[in-house]
Amino acid sequence: MGGKSKQDARVSMPVDCRIAEVGAMHAQLRGALESSRIVLDGSAVDRVDTAALQLLVVFQREAKKRERQVQWAQVSAPLHDAASQLGLAEALALPARRPA
Amino acid sequence: MSSISVTQFHQVFFEESLEGLDAMEAALLALDEGGDAELVHSIFRAAHSIKGGSATFGFPDMAALTHEAESLLDQVRDGRRAIDKSIVELMLRTVDCLRGMFDRAQSGQPLADADSENLKRQLATAVGHETPVAATRLAAKPAAGRGWIIQFRPHAGMLAGGNDPLRLLRELAALGQLVVEAQLDRVPTLDALDPCECHLAWRIELTGAAGQDAIKTVFEWVEDECDLSIEPLVAAVPPPAPAVAAVAAAPAAGAGGAAGTARGPAASSNDAGSVRVAIDKIDGLIDLVGELVITQAMLDQFREDFDPSQLAMLQHGLAQLARHTRALQESVMGVRMLPIGSVFNRFPRLVRDLSQKLGKQVKLDLVGEHTELDKTVLEKIGDPLVHLVRNAIDHGLETPEKRRAAGKQEMGTLRLEAFHRGGSIVVEISDDGAGLNREAIIAKAVQKGLIKSGEGLSDEAVGELIFQPGFSTAAVTTDLSGRGVGMDVVRRNVVDLGGNVAIKSRAGQGTSFTITLPLTLAIIDGLRAAVGGECYIVPLVSIVESVQLRADAIRSVTGGGELFRFRGEYLPIVRLHQQFGCADARQQIDQGLVIVAEADGTQIGLFVDELVGQQQAVVKSLEANYRRVDGISGATILADGSVALIVDVAGLIRLQSRRKAA
Repeated sequence: MGGKSKQDARVSMPVDCRIAEVGAMHAQLRGALESSRIVLDGSAVDRVDTAALQLLVVFQREAKKRERQVQWAQVSAPLHDAASQLGLAEALALPARRPA
Repeated sequence: MSSISVTQFHQVFFEESLEGLDAMEAALLALDEGGDAELVHSIFRAAHSIKGGSATFGFPDMAALTHEAESLLDQVRDGRRAIDKSIVELMLRTVDCLRGMFDRAQSGQPLADADSENLKRQLATAVGHETPVAATRLAAKPAAGRGWIIQFRPHAGMLAGGNDPLRLLRELAALGQLVVEAQLDRVPTLDALDPCECHLAWRIELTGAAGQDAIKTVFEWVEDECDLSIEPLVAAVPPPAPAVAAVAAAPAAGAGGAAGTARGPAASSNDAGSVRVAIDKIDGLIDLVGELVITQAMLDQFREDFDPSQLAMLQHGLAQLARHTRALQESVMGVRMLPIGSVFNRFPRLVRDLSQKLGKQVKLDLVGEHTELDKTVLEKIGDPLVHLVRNAIDHGLETPEKRRAAGKQEMGTLRLEAFHRGGSIVVEISDDGAGLNREAIIAKAVQKGLIKSGEGLSDEAVGELIFQPGFSTAAVTTDLSGRGVGMDVVRRNVVDLGGNVAIKSRAGQGTSFTITLPLTLAIIDGLRAAVGGECYIVPLVSIVESVQLRADAIRSVTGGGELFRFRGEYLPIVRLHQQFGCADARQQIDQGLVIVAEADGTQIGLFVDELVGQQQAVVKSLEANYRRVDGISGATILADGSVALIVDVAGLIRLQSRRKAA
């Protein structure tokens, strides 16, 4: 890829966000780091597993290291539940859960 | 990138779970008769893997129900609860309920219904009311209110192996209150990350009453895929309840530490569409095909240049080919053979439920479960057997009071036995009950107009009456049996399978039903008999011998029947050409042959022109291609392409006795 784009990158996570998809997500997230501002959209996520959450954690750490701004657009309830269950909500910088 | 759909694993999950339920049921029934801790473990394992699978594959209702059941089992396993009839009953109902759920899952319906919700509540209530085995707790177990610190570091390959720490943590969460701390110290950079490897670890504080075994069970399937330590939590938690007494004796159940990872006893699959075949059977087939190829290559040589001096070798090759073809055929048929145990498996439960319902005590003996039967026969014999077993408990075996009054043991015995006899499989269902009520049967038969009076009727003839359509002597129609449909249907089903049912009964001593079934439906060994210009196949299993009679050996009886004397008995003669309307057949008895054939314990003489030879017949259904013909069980295609009909000896005997009665 060429020089750094100033534009926002938006990464929409798939409905089934599990190990079968992490390869594609990995590539997408690495690409997104070219941008200075990255928006993660987790609104569609219905199923998620440890592999996907681990990838997001690594991405957040990398983004922090490279001083990128990462924002969550929306976080579905299953994503929230899984992250809390694994004790990763903080590392993922998930926004506080809105009351249903 | 292709995504993996979970639904492709559903069928396997269903099959395995149904096997798990069978194993669970069998273990529960064994437990009911006083079992050991290993049984509890195997029940627990079955429930646990169903729970895990249903959660993984997206059946939350099923997971919730099994979770409650598992909690209850866990209490039993840990020795916090004594196993009793009520728990066994509850668990058996859970097994039934789960089977219903699997049925609904397969047809895509909602899983939960009023029954399952009700059952779940009952299980939860039971879990909430522990009834300790003794007033002591296990030595290894901390008192309620404390907890554990679990250090859990998955190996890198765990995720790719299909085990998700998320699921494990969710299972842990069901055991009590969790405080989860993820450890990110070994997480690589984004560029270095293989996203399918696990680099996370967790420190988990679990507070609650869960025992160490319960925690180990959660990690049971990943034991060798992670580093795991479980330490008692020494923390500022309120002291344990004062009721906990000093540890005295260690209860046996649950004290054995972590349960093994072995799966429960696998029951054989009885799904409709597939057959599971043992590897050695397949290997045998491959060997045989190899032999065939070699023989074929050898015969091929003769095609190029055949020298008459090689005739002996050619004959040898052809004989070898015939031998191998026959062996291959037998092996292929063997692939369809399954042990009858898969049908017998359902009876312990049936017998238990029925005997409880009827207030009878019944001991079930199963013998010969390993006897193998053709899969089609096996599938169709289940219902008739269930009917006979129900009848035996409902009508055959007496109540404990009556048995005591008759000087018998209060516990009646019902015996199911399967074995080979000749070319057939025999299944016997016998009880030591009261036997057939001869008077009641005769009275009913007279009332129905089947017979005029019972005078001179042999016990066998009386027994035969119950196979008449609509015949039932049950004084009270129960929901079990006695609706007047039954024995005729049983006989028809068995006859449709090419088998026979015979009954033997002795007043006060019991009744036994003998079902004789062909090994397979697809191929029979038979004798080819010529009648007029046609050919008939008489199944070899029913042939006793063939004799040539002198014209004066025949006795005509009133009504047009003919008898001949064979080994001190008079047997009726059926002239096949008359029976089946063949032209140009031999009419004089001394010009033809009489084949003595037997079925249902009765013998008969079949008059034919001559015997042509022995032959294997691949059975084709006459009903499917034409229509049902009395006295004919099917058809086959001969080597010259013509059709030969297969004689149904049992059917001819029945026709003959009907004619005699008329």
